[in-house]
Amino acid sequence: MNLKTIKDNRYFYPALYILILVLFIAMPYITAPYTIILLSSIFMYVALTLSWTLFSGPTGYTSLATAAFFGLGLYMAGILGDSVPLIVAVICGGLISFVLAFIIGAITLRLRGIYFTIFTFGLVELIKHLMLWWEINIVGVRGRFVPRADNATVFYILLAILVALLLTTYFLKSSRYGMALSSIGSNEEAAIHIGINVVNLKIITFASSAFFIGMTGTIMATRWSYIDPYIAFDTFYSFLPPLMAIFGGLGNLFGPLLGAAVFSYLQETLITRFPYSYMLIFGLIMVITILYLPNGLIGLYQIIRQRFIGGKHADTSS
Amino acid sequence: MTKKGFLFLVLIAFMAVALVVGGCAEEGAAPETEPENGEETEGEGPVEDKDVLVFGGARSLTGPLAIQDESCFGPVYRMWADEVNARGGIYVEEYGKQLPVELKIYDDTSDMGTMTRLLEKLMVEDQVDFLLAPISTAFLHAAAPICNEHGYLLMGAEGGAKELEPMMAGLPYFFSVLNYATHQVPALVDMLVENEIESVAIIFIADQHGIEYSGDTIPLLEMNGIDVAFSKSVPLGIDDMSALINEAKEADVDAVLCYAYPDENFLMVGQSIEMDFNPDMMLFGPGVCFEVFHDIFGPATEGVMGWGAWNEKSSPEAADLVQRITEHEGSRNIDWWGQVPYYAGLQILEQAIEMSGTIDHEVLKDVIATEKFDTVMGEVWFENGGIPAECYPGQIGQWQNGIFEVVAPADQATAEPIIPKPAWPGQ
Amino acid sequence: MHAGYLNGPAAVEPGIVSGSCRHMKVACRLYNARTGVDYMTSIINILVNGLILGGIYALTSVGLSMQYGVARIFNIAHGEFIMVGAFITWMLYTSLGVNPLICLAVAGPILFILGFIIHRYMFKTLKDKIPSPAAFEGNSMLLAFGIMFVIQSIAIYLWGTSIKGYNYMAYSVYLGDIRFSANRLLILFFALVLCGLFYLFLTRTRPGKAIRAAAQDPEAASLMGVDINKMLALCFALGAMMAGFAGVLLSMAYQLQTNMGLPYTIIAIIVVVLGGLGSIPGSMLGGFILGIIGSIVNTIDPGLTLAAYYLLFMILLLVRPSGILGR
Repeated sequence: MNLKTIKDNRYFYPALYILILVLFIAMPYITAPYTIILLSSIFMYVALTLSWTLFSGPTGYTSLATAAFFGLGLYMAGILGDSVPLIVAVICGGLISFVLAFIIGAITLRLRGIYFTIFTFGLVELIKHLMLWWEINIVGVRGRFVPRADNATVFYILLAILVALLLTTYFLKSSRYGMALSSIGSNEEAAIHIGINVVNLKIITFASSAFFIGMTGTIMATRWSYIDPYIAFDTFYSFLPPLMAIFGGLGNLFGPLLGAAVFSYLQETLITRFPYSYMLIFGLIMVITILYLPNGLIGLYQIIRQRFIGGKHADTSS
Repeated sequence: MTKKGFLFLVLIAFMAVALVVGGCAEEGAAPETEPENGEETEGEGPVEDKDVLVFGGARSLTGPLAIQDESCFGPVYRMWADEVNARGGIYVEEYGKQLPVELKIYDDTSDMGTMTRLLEKLMVEDQVDFLLAPISTAFLHAAAPICNEHGYLLMGAEGGAKELEPMMAGLPYFFSVLNYATHQVPALVDMLVENEIESVAIIFIADQHGIEYSGDTIPLLEMNGIDVAFSKSVPLGIDDMSALINEAKEADVDAVLCYAYPDENFLMVGQSIEMDFNPDMMLFGPGVCFEVFHDIFGPATEGVMGWGAWNEKSSPEAADLVQRITEHEGSRNIDWWGQVPYYAGLQILEQAIEMSGTIDHEVLKDVIATEKFDTVMGEVWFENGGIPAECYPGQIGQWQNGIFEVVAPADQATAEPIIPKPAWPGQ
Repeated sequence: MHAGYLNGPAAVEPGIVSGSCRHMKVACRLYNARTGVDYMTSIINILVNGLILGGIYALTSVGLSMQYGVARIFNIAHGEFIMVGAFITWMLYTSLGVNPLICLAVAGPILFILGFIIHRYMFKTLKDKIPSPAAFEGNSMLLAFGIMFVIQSIAIYLWGTSIKGYNYMAYSVYLGDIRFSANRLLILFFALVLCGLFYLFLTRTRPGKAIRAAAQDPEAASLMGVDINKMLALCFALGAMMAGFAGVLLSMAYQLQTNMGLPYTIIAIIVVVLGGLGSIPGSMLGGFILGIIGSIVNTIDPGLTLAAYYLLFMILLLVRPSGILGR
């Protein structure tokens, strides 16, 4: 087929991606203002999910620390405020999360499986309550105002974070480090023997994922305009990335991306169209997805392909 | 087709429906954005026709803040919309007719990010005519600058505005409606002085609300020579107050001021009863002012104080409001602190529209800032974006014989404060 | 009035404990001169509060420990079962005047059936699709998350979002010189009895032994004729039933809201990890340890109670990931 020859061309995919990127860059000039706001929000979820997947996808360590790094990023925006340019604040937000993740990564080396998950979960709550106590009893502030940035700036910075994140994920995946990382997921002992310092690699990847999460937090704070520890360190932001990633389908770069985009758009639709039954519909979709789509949306796509294109004798059970 | 195949189809159909519905939302919105551009080019042309006034709000229908939509402002705005429509609508001169009110409520799931985004959706995409305030002090603090940026009026609801006070000059579109620490704490301290309370213990929630009130109270108490035995913060979700009660007992304080949220306040009341801790005066934050507090604790409410306050004796209008809310809700779902100011806030907006004959927020903000309004709580006006303390029907209430009596300030009181408070029943 | 209090000096420390030197206060309090009797009373008070709180924590976590230990389901919806149990009690008590203790016999079976159905039609389906235990753990947590949403939204339809509650046995009783609040003492008593019975059921009865066999070695158990799926469903249902009992008892001392579940789930997770995942005596011990620590920190600075829980929890995870009584 004609389409197939085009798709086989080695320039096809790079060209397609650049086209999509250009389209996004042009967005603020061609669409309604709210589209940018909604897209920024979707980008935020995509960035959080991809950052989560960067570490937890290949290693199989389910991290619930996203809210901790995200919250630190948010707080960085509140603390720095107007004193530095926005872009510097964003990088600071990323760095502080990086440092925290580095420390956490180093001290949780021994923890495997569910224990790592629970530890990271406790981390969010610990930071929240320490922050709360500190702010109230030592600093004596109630919450912090964050100077607002305009929609297009936020959109572009998020887009930049997302592009950097996608490139990082892509290069990590195709490098030998990526192989080593995913061997942690299957067999950590074997991974140690192939000669890559798995421990360092694990920590660095965890910290890098936190770096992106922190940056996302700082930039989003400018949309939120007011934060306090309860708002910043909301456990919900820890659960969303794994949910979205599994919703989309792990094991493929586009799975989490698609999952986060569809999930957040679905949520937006439900809370605005069906505000009084949002929770029920959302819960049902989650239950049904996990029960009947163990491979996520990507799995759905594959199954449909097999059913309608791939022929009659395709076995759909994975 | 196996069972699996069938479920699969159901799932696909389900998602397709959800996405299509979402798509419709986009399509439905698209035509609305075009007139906006057209309007700008037309400039001062005649206003386009309108059939309905849309009041949009990002309210927390689920999550930790949802309790307030059901118990505080929620019953009021829903009833108000029905009442206005029963009258035929609000008369707007520039359209030459009465316009009915339509509510457009989104669920912000008690999440700040969602709230701010939905607020912008309401203003930028849906272009609603007016906004209803989001829930909680923190959300109000976030919403005020955003609405101001878009030139939308925001009449406050559940939540104080202490920290916004110094910024008020830069927030001409925001009007704080509920009374909070600035109004209430002086009345409290006057009452403490008058009743010769010598020492107090302060328990405050680690949140805007708690710090706002404790921060205002402590200096005033010290100025008046009242000893603060201790002032401690408690986190949201604390499940045992007995250590604090024991400490207050040991310090032998005359009064306990508990600046917390309903969960913690109710827990504190419950544990005080259980431990027979009965100082001369006990005052609590939100929750105690709900009628449900009396439903739960019954005769044990006698003498318990809370912020507020109004009741059926405040004025005939207030008594009428109680009856209407009870009828509309099907139960006595009354908040004896906020519902009168909230209703007044909606009345102010309504009257400002009728006075100026326009729904242009730029005009309305000046009308609201300068005019005086006749509302359910009497004559009301704004000073620096807030309502002066004397306009409110009361600042402190006390449960007496099942009625949340106004006990301070003295000139608005519907009953004398009972200090020392009577013992808990059944001890 | 406290017996010890009467003997002590009238106002011990008015000047020291003021708002302005709050941070010094912790140190001040600890070194404060008091009479010996006064000091003892404080310590006894802390212990009593800690035990009562610990009983509540233990009761709320035993079910979760069971569900994770045997069925490998990290049930985020655990707190929702507590909420349902509490609301059933509230409904029966306020509308029909049924004694909350009788509600134990109503709420328990309802939640047992609910738990059984949820496992039979959801977690079993998931388990059949995902054979790998690690993947099942992750997916089952997310499934539980979805179930939490569904249960909570149904509860909002039924009961709304406002605060509910009732008063039951809210007075103090004395055992010797020590004051207890009657309803909390009752909760502690029932928590101990229910947890004890549950433990006896697991160790002494045939189905209990089958459950434990299924937990330790599923394959050997199934060879011996144990229906593994039925055992897992039974175990999940028992966990839900324990959560229901916890809800019934808690409603005597706490107010109810339809979103009250998650904080209980979080506390239960801490307790279960503290005691050792899957160990019933461990959960009880973990509950009491957490309760007493909470009570001590509450006395020093209640603002740090929850932070202390998490700190303790994380340190323990690092030092001994398998928990105090874990295998």
